[in-house]
Amino acid sequence: MSVNPSDTSATGAGAADAPQTAHSETRDKLIVFMKNTQGMLGLFLVIAFFASAIFAPFFATHDPFAMDIPARMSGPTAEHWLGTDQLGRDTYTRVLYGGRVALQVAMIGVSVSLVVGLLLGTLAGYGPRWLDSILLLLFDSVRSFPTIVMALAAVALLGPSLELVLAIVIVTTIPGYARLARTATMSLRNSEFITAERSLGASMWLILRRHLIPNVIGPLLILAAMDVPVVVTVEAGLSFLGLGVLPPTASWGTVLNEGYLVIRDTPWPVIAGGIPLVLTTLGFTFLGEALRDTFDPRLNRGR
Amino acid sequence: MENLVEIRDLCVDFATPRGRVHALRNIDINVKKNRILGVVGESGSGKSTVIWAMLRLLANNGIIEKGEVRYGDDNVLAYSADDLLKFRNEQVSVVFQDPMTSQIPVLNYGQQMADIQYRTGRSSQEKQKVAVDMLRRVGIPDPDSRITQYPHNFSGGMRQRAGIAMALLMRPGLLIADEPTTALDVTMEAQIIHLLRELKDEMSATLIVVSHNLGLIAELCDDVVVLYAGEVLEQGTCEDIFHNPAHPYTRALLECDPARVEEKSRILPVISGEVPNLRQAPQGCVFAARCSNAGPGCSTVRPPDVSLESTHHVRCHLHADVLTGDQRPKDGASGQSASDSTARQSTAEQEALVSIKNLQVRFKTMGAFKALVTKNKTPYVDAVLDVSMDLRKGETLGLVGESGSGKTTFGRTILGLIPAYAGSVTFEGRELIGLPERQFKPLRRDMAMMFQDPIGSLSPRQSVRSLLSEPLEIHGRAGGDTSLDREAERLLDMVQLPRDFLSRYPHELSGGQARRVGVARALALQPKLIIADEPTAGLDVSVQGEILNLMNGLQRDHGLTFLIITHNLPVVRHVSDRLAIMYLGRIVEFGDSEQIFNAPAHPYTEALVHGVPKPDPSKRRELISIEGEVPSLANRPSGCEFHARCKYATDRCRSEAPQPTVAADGRAVSCHFPLTTT
Repeated sequence: MSVNPSDTSATGAGAADAPQTAHSETRDKLIVFMKNTQGMLGLFLVIAFFASAIFAPFFATHDPFAMDIPARMSGPTAEHWLGTDQLGRDTYTRVLYGGRVALQVAMIGVSVSLVVGLLLGTLAGYGPRWLDSILLLLFDSVRSFPTIVMALAAVALLGPSLELVLAIVIVTTIPGYARLARTATMSLRNSEFITAERSLGASMWLILRRHLIPNVIGPLLILAAMDVPVVVTVEAGLSFLGLGVLPPTASWGTVLNEGYLVIRDTPWPVIAGGIPLVLTTLGFTFLGEALRDTFDPRLNRGR
Repeated sequence: MENLVEIRDLCVDFATPRGRVHALRNIDINVKKNRILGVVGESGSGKSTVIWAMLRLLANNGIIEKGEVRYGDDNVLAYSADDLLKFRNEQVSVVFQDPMTSQIPVLNYGQQMADIQYRTGRSSQEKQKVAVDMLRRVGIPDPDSRITQYPHNFSGGMRQRAGIAMALLMRPGLLIADEPTTALDVTMEAQIIHLLRELKDEMSATLIVVSHNLGLIAELCDDVVVLYAGEVLEQGTCEDIFHNPAHPYTRALLECDPARVEEKSRILPVISGEVPNLRQAPQGCVFAARCSNAGPGCSTVRPPDVSLESTHHVRCHLHADVLTGDQRPKDGASGQSASDSTARQSTAEQEALVSIKNLQVRFKTMGAFKALVTKNKTPYVDAVLDVSMDLRKGETLGLVGESGSGKTTFGRTILGLIPAYAGSVTFEGRELIGLPERQFKPLRRDMAMMFQDPIGSLSPRQSVRSLLSEPLEIHGRAGGDTSLDREAERLLDMVQLPRDFLSRYPHELSGGQARRVGVARALALQPKLIIADEPTAGLDVSVQGEILNLMNGLQRDHGLTFLIITHNLPVVRHVSDRLAIMYLGRIVEFGDSEQIFNAPAHPYTEALVHGVPKPDPSKRRELISIEGEVPSLANRPSGCEFHARCKYATDRCRSEAPQPTVAADGRAVSCHFPLTTT
């Protein structure tokens, strides 16, 4: 999803025999990125989010479903670091496990819609006119539905589940990627290098795969990084409304939802469920913006 | 003579992630009052940086290290923000290279020109009147109504005229023109040059003209500064520089200009090597590495500024006595020029490789329904009309015309990239028009194209390696094949690029290097025909020759057939066997290139031949050879389509369209009164 700087440095070191220019090009970008404090903060938050979600059982202090009735609705204690909810479940543990749901939805949802959106968008932008019209009609119809209304309708038909949340996230975010990819493709389709490929006899698929997609994917990746928090909040929102992940499964949305009911007794579940949401949102947004500043030379303001 | 601007010891650095680029070093320039100063240099010489530093408009990472810019009694570099605004508004104006991007697209000219006058305190009626007068002065017809129009309503030449009007609106003491004609056609260029000269005399203004075009400088300027790699190498009057150049770089630059080479020559002179990397400031002479006169001392000891006459300064050891003995540079002719001894065999008896009959390319301008509603009987334009020609095996045919003449469309139609409306194109006897892409693909091995923009025609995310092996992959070689790498290396050798370029990306190449990669790509499939669209556009003069020489050598070795599409007649003349002159999609003259160049028969050809300014101040043109602009394709003039711009036009030309007639020397001309017979 995001470009991992440790990856780039690894390839740079591995290709030591590569000429200086290509090598230092990557290093230049890396230096520009490293100098971006906001970006580094974002990267740190994102890594923390990934680590906490993947290794949730390792960091957890309790079972997410274990109830400690005597200590219900307590504030932070040595036993329960972030307090407990109305059933006495450990909020810290539940938030950790909630991160897994968020990660799943964010990663699967964003990457699927990125790939599908990229394909449909470039196809609409480069393919025949009629295909463009059909695809545009499709994108615009999807976009004209408010996400929540669509989710309500889908839940009414199929019942709430994590898979449904994912499906809704994917369907509603595809048009954004596709539109962006389509616009970028249209601005490239008449450029000289595409005509040059055509003059060599390159097929449409080759042009799409090798020459259009690598050139339009950059802004889409950045959009994806910025979309992750949106998707995470959509999942939390749907779960909060009871349309997403079902209790007792822990998700940031369900933690918030349950905490909201008892907010007069203890504010801790709401605080503990809200803070990771805010931090993840900030982290991905910072990272996305830093990536854009690094890789889009037009925005390079002579730093 | 009094100096209006004095630049003293100006040093400018650019801060980049990979260290500082010392873009300008110790620049001293005098701009004399009421004269036109030409600043000439290749790309990367820092000529624009001088201008932006003067105006304090450098990019954010540009740092003025030291120096001063004296304007009258003030140092511009010490101005406060308010002084600077006043200075830019009232004292100095700029005419930009591309009027399309430097004028505000959403404001009409009246609004833009009123905004420029905001400091004057004039009433809006007065502002309007001043603006209209200025537009009339720069030769815009009917300025009262045109002032309410927007930049997109104006044609290229008119837009640049309006740009000059806007620049002169505040009657500035100093007018700076940054490549004022680069975006224009040759015929427009001549008009703009004359306009600038007239205005300068009339308004007693001082001009600085920045250009890479030696012809423009020679025709327009009184004084010349030659910049190279951020240093002034030579400075003097126009006559000093063009008739008596003292620096080897100036000499080489003049020799390279194809317009200056009088004799037809297959091999053009070049300056080998590249502009030095300015991250490390060079110790000695900046030009030493490329100089054919350089002695051992040149690369280590910095040459002083030597005064030859009161006006003529040069920075070269040839004229200084700092170095002694063996360290001194070798005197004498630069020896850059080369002559071509290999006579080319005539291609006249060769059979045709491509034969084009009555080719017509039509573009729709509106949908069928809209045409019906608006009762437009011609909802289309014909970009190419009734063109017939044969391309013989092994010859080079030059196709010349202004922008909008349909020459690029013609080239692309031959390759099936644009559908033809009517006519036929046969390649080795096979009809190409209407051939589906599936059947066309195998033929693409035999025909390749070089595109106008050297860097823009290379896919930006592909390395040179994959760019070079891609044509082979498309035509059936498996990717990842190691023999592909060897093939790519062989291609690089052919175009004389080092092999480590394989892992570079297009943006890491200079224009000339990217052009070589383009040539290599075109050669990858060993084609028979190469269509080269403006092969020298966007390249420095010294590199133009290299590319043409390379193409020429490859033609000799591989028996290629070239169709070279260009607007630059003097360049193509040296390399073509035959020329076709195109106007509004029609061929108006077609024949042997030397005959056409030496004695043009069609008035349009004459205008093109004389349209390019000669880099020689003693050969300045007095009259503008061609008036007006290329008419719109949507309403072609009646009769001879050139009559509105032709100074020989008669009533017959206005009513009756001339048919192509073949003259005794085998030339085909579409003109009622060809110049050679009258």
